Amino acid sequence: MNHEHDHTEPPEDQEIQEWKKKLLWAWVCTIPIALLMFSMRFLSLTLIPESTATLLFLLIGFPVLYLIGFSTLRGGLQGFVHLYFTMDSLIALGTVIAYLTGIFSFFGFMQDYSGVAAMIMTIFITGKYIEAQARGKATQEIRKLLELGAKQARVIRDKQEFMIPISAIRLGDIFLVKPGEKIPTDGIVIKGASAVDESMVTGESLPVEKTIKNSVIGATINQDGILYMKATKVGNDTFLSHIIHLVEEAQGTKIPIQKLADTITNIFVPAILFLALFSAIGWYFFTGNISTSLGVAVAVLVIACPCSLGLAVPISLMVGSGMGAKAGILIRKGEAIQTMKSIQTIVFDKTGTITKGKPEVTDIYRLIPEKKLLTLAAALEHLSEHPIGHAIVQKAQLSHYPAVHHFMIHRGRGLAGTINKQKILIGNATLFQEEHISLTSVRSIITQYQQEGKTTMIIAVNKKIYGVIAIADAIKEDSAEAIRILNDQGYHTVMLTGDNAVTAHAIARRVGITTVFANVLPEEKIRTIEKLQKKDMVAFIGDGINDAPALKQSNVGIAIGSGTDIAIEAGDIVLARSSLMDVVYAIYLSKATFRKIQQNLFWAFAYNIIAIPLAVSGILHPVIAETAMAFSSITVVTNANLLRRTNIFKKR
Amino acid sequence: MKKVTILIKGMHCASCAANIEKSLSKVKGLKNIRVAFLMKKGYADCDDTVTAEDIKIAVKKTGYEATEVAFA
Repeated sequence: MNHEHDHTEPPEDQEIQEWKKKLLWAWVCTIPIALLMFSMRFLSLTLIPESTATLLFLLIGFPVLYLIGFSTLRGGLQGFVHLYFTMDSLIALGTVIAYLTGIFSFFGFMQDYSGVAAMIMTIFITGKYIEAQARGKATQEIRKLLELGAKQARVIRDKQEFMIPISAIRLGDIFLVKPGEKIPTDGIVIKGASAVDESMVTGESLPVEKTIKNSVIGATINQDGILYMKATKVGNDTFLSHIIHLVEEAQGTKIPIQKLADTITNIFVPAILFLALFSAIGWYFFTGNISTSLGVAVAVLVIACPCSLGLAVPISLMVGSGMGAKAGILIRKGEAIQTMKSIQTIVFDKTGTITKGKPEVTDIYRLIPEKKLLTLAAALEHLSEHPIGHAIVQKAQLSHYPAVHHFMIHRGRGLAGTINKQKILIGNATLFQEEHISLTSVRSIITQYQQEGKTTMIIAVNKKIYGVIAIADAIKEDSAEAIRILNDQGYHTVMLTGDNAVTAHAIARRVGITTVFANVLPEEKIRTIEKLQKKDMVAFIGDGINDAPALKQSNVGIAIGSGTDIAIEAGDIVLARSSLMDVVYAIYLSKATFRKIQQNLFWAFAYNIIAIPLAVSGILHPVIAETAMAFSSITVVTNANLLRRTNIFKKR
Repeated sequence: MKKVTILIKGMHCASCAANIEKSLSKVKGLKNIRVAFLMKKGYADCDDTVTAEDIKIAVKKTGYEATEVAFA
């Protein structure tokens, strides 16, 4: 939609544009220098006298260094004033020294490196340009997340429609959302019905049906119907804002493995400055040749690359967490990526994690047609407020209910009432014993349902049993598959629940969990995890609202939720969808990201360990050194981008 | 404990982030400082004694600019 177009360019694109402009001009100047140097040094052609060549190098090199490379030089040399050195300090010092040799070559016998100065700067700029592009790619998912929100909203005030910018919306505003438009903010539907594509926020690929009283998430897309909605959250309180904040802040979290790299990055530049100085002194001492000694110093200055070391971890984390965010897997703490590798035991909460968290009718045993049985049951149950009754009402889906007379609630046991002069009774076994109705005909079916962990409701008409309805908190569709995959991979899966042992074991059997801790009070959950932690590294998966302490106690806490109902502050990893398959993907993603981090650190360290001694020993020409340096950071960023090629989410 | 988010202009490599972290760590009352070069942002925990001005000065010392300091 054109009215949602954002006119400000993201900072990465501006950076790329800037580098590109510099790059073009730098090469325009540097190509003649390179050709001239090449013909003189390697082909020994004397097209023009040496001193004229030096003058040309100095003249053409001047704009490259002091105009095109101005910001690099200024930033780098400032480091020598306030003693905060960066990579630019190395490049600035290296190029300025090289340039000055050109001037000195007029006065005494000194080899002229001024042509080299321009080449180093140009290669540096080229490297920065390629790196900025690769970085732009690495940040694309997170940038998309930032740009996801709706820009305008169709608000209804005084029965009239107005288009207003998203920043002007207020709590309680009523909006009209037409097909194809973005839901402006978090809210509830007050009129209309439609399918909404929530994939951009939750990773859920199937559209979700929304109608009155359903909650909708800002930035998701209304598909085919017209929705009237009321804003319940605006601005920084929306689900999308929370996700963005979480993902952004995660980029600043440290991973234990990067500690050494960080320590080195912190002292790297001053260390290289000293090393360059000592190399220069050493070479002058042994050879007495000031030109050689300065050449080595320049090579040492420009080959050292703190960038690849400093970028190795954050760039991988960025790509990994960006991929996760797109799929509804939000990595909140970078450390979780490293810890995940050592996890052996995975503990699941039952209600709302393995199961859907709300009762549903699972089985119906009937002696009359199902429709009739459900109608009678729902007619009574819709008059009660009980969650079990609600499950029956949901299942029956009646548009109108037959009239009930003499309605009565037998607290904790069931309901009674009269429909069409027939006496209806619905409830548990206790109620039927009290009413002296024999359960012999359905005894075995009741026992079977109870062993499966289900609650049973018996229905009788005029004291004659008509059927049994079993109600249970149904298992999510893919819980069993997810747990099977985890079992196959050698994880020890455990269920932890406050529910009774019969129900807990019944569910555990069906999903393939063998270790069950039932009847565990919320405050005891921590102690159970502590006990498990004595043997293994433990991950806990549960909802962030009731299980926050357990999530915190475990080595990796994975908070699971659906839509906006996630407590986003709990857990090291937050899953936006409620599917347990995302636990599997979160593990895959963490492991793949951590492998990238290891590879990158290896390359960054290996590069510096090999390249710096080569430069010190005078083997590398400064131009080759600078080229190698540029390659090292490009390698690290490109390698991080390769993470995208792995098939982590192949089943989705 | 409050949280502070700092928008930083001018960072171009990872050692810049390290410098800013170092300088911010000298600000009294700031803890758990993390500067994310890729996001061009810094995050920290702080107490009530820390002002936006303190943070801006610390960032400026290293040659960069804190364009926005938001407490939450």
